[in-house]
Amino acid sequence: MSSPILKIDSITMRFGGLVAVNRFSMELGSKDLVGVIGPNGAGKTTIFNMVTGHYEPTEGTVYLSGKNINGLRPAFITQSGIARTFQNIRLFKDLTVLDNIRLAAHYTVEYGLLANIFRTKKYHAEEKRVHDEAMELLKIFGLEDKKYHLAKNLPYGQQRRLEIARALATKPKVLLLDEPAAGMNPKETKDLTELIRWVRDKFQIAVLLIEHDMKLVMEVCERIYVVDHGELIAQGAPKDIQSNPKVIEAYLGTSETEETGPTPGEA
Amino acid sequence: MDYFIYLAQLSGIFIILAVSLNLINGICGQFSLGHAGFWAVGAYTGAAFTVFLDLPVPGFVNLFLSCGVSFIAAALAGLLIGVPCLRLRGDYLAIATLGFGEIIRIVIMNMDSVGGPRGFTDIPKLANIGWVYLWVVIIIVFVSNLLRGSHGRAIISIREDEIAAESMGIYTFKYKTLAFVIGAGFAGVAGTLYAHTQEFISPMGFTFMWSVIILLMIILGGLGSITGSVVGAIILTLLPEFLRFFGQTVSEWRMVIYSLLLISLMLARPGGIFGKHEFNVLKFLGIGKKEEANS
Repeated sequence: MSSPILKIDSITMRFGGLVAVNRFSMELGSKDLVGVIGPNGAGKTTIFNMVTGHYEPTEGTVYLSGKNINGLRPAFITQSGIARTFQNIRLFKDLTVLDNIRLAAHYTVEYGLLANIFRTKKYHAEEKRVHDEAMELLKIFGLEDKKYHLAKNLPYGQQRRLEIARALATKPKVLLLDEPAAGMNPKETKDLTELIRWVRDKFQIAVLLIEHDMKLVMEVCERIYVVDHGELIAQGAPKDIQSNPKVIEAYLGTSETEETGPTPGEA
Repeated sequence: MDYFIYLAQLSGIFIILAVSLNLINGICGQFSLGHAGFWAVGAYTGAAFTVFLDLPVPGFVNLFLSCGVSFIAAALAGLLIGVPCLRLRGDYLAIATLGFGEIIRIVIMNMDSVGGPRGFTDIPKLANIGWVYLWVVIIIVFVSNLLRGSHGRAIISIREDEIAAESMGIYTFKYKTLAFVIGAGFAGVAGTLYAHTQEFISPMGFTFMWSVIILLMIILGGLGSITGSVVGAIILTLLPEFLRFFGQTVSEWRMVIYSLLLISLMLARPGGIFGKHEFNVLKFLGIGKKEEANS
């Protein structure tokens, strides 16, 4: 493993008396593809929310490239290199596909408010740059002929793709995917599996994903962390996880074998 | 004839108010009910500037300067109110801004130097229809240019989904404040123009009801649509006036008819006349470019 780009050092999140996440630690190398799994309510999304600044950890620290990013606003965490998608898609629904991508590049725009209003030379140059970069990204994701469609009019699978494209448009070092396969049919899930692996190779970034779809996780992830009741109960390669009795007990149920079986209960 | 010019001028002032509130409510999605407060700040600052300072310059220069001064004053008031209030959302923000709007009015009411409850009198009649519509053009160009750039898109994204916007690296608080301050500033300009049209202003002319009426204008026209705000402002300024001309009965019942018309219009088009869309003359006539159909 290369030196860790993202280091989570025993973070704890308490909501009043409830301990949602208890001393969770992990490290993510700069090109790793790692999954976090666990039953519903295990605290996976809470971990994401702490990493991206939506919650501030009660205890513990998150380091990005060795820099403490605790307590930064989500916007600044994104600017320093962590992008995310959401469990329930959060696109800008009434904006076009192109605008969705262009918004993600907003913080890189170098002209000021007055240049915007007076439409100076710099404004036009920068707008062209942002537009071209967005179009390039849309081309990669096969969405370029839909650039003037409203995001809400895209089919579900493409909305997911667009959300991933939008996250990539912020030029992240780490990409967090929160249940990217939720609500997808098997064909779309298969495409997504390809896409995730391909994104990592193409953009050379670390990917951390939360997922319920066992098949996707086992296929795509190099390492898996298993969380239950806010605690890390196992970590390792997919093969080891599959045979770990603690994991089977907590997550996969008792009688089913996960390789052939459908997605476990709570999908 | 004078009456119609006066009405056109008044419409222009309300267009400025409606477009500026639209920037806050419709485009940025922050529910503000304090717009009459910024209007009052602008009106009083502008009036005080021309009356007390009485610079030895031609009238229109004086008007232009006082518009600038009142823009700054109202924008500062917007900043002062926006920074604490914009941490709130939705209904809570509406109530907080409503409170601040009233505070502004009460403060003015107790300032003897500007006439207190008796009102501010003897303001020179510097504004005419030309200057008012010059400012109408300025604000419309300002806002529509803003929306075509990245900063404008950032403001729109807050309306669409604040959490997603924040996750995309947009510091939402900054852009909310920006929209609020610019909106307040232009309301201030409208105030100055209003003061120099009416020659008399009093705190009772800037009550909470006016915030609601300006809000009605932009909801009627379509939240988020600049052309919608313009049309909404014109309709709501002229409608109660024109109903005067339809005989005794209509004239007596005009406020009731006015309300009924509003209700039926909102039932017919719940999203406002234009929804979120802009009315484009070129496209309407079929000569515009097809592609840029998104705004």
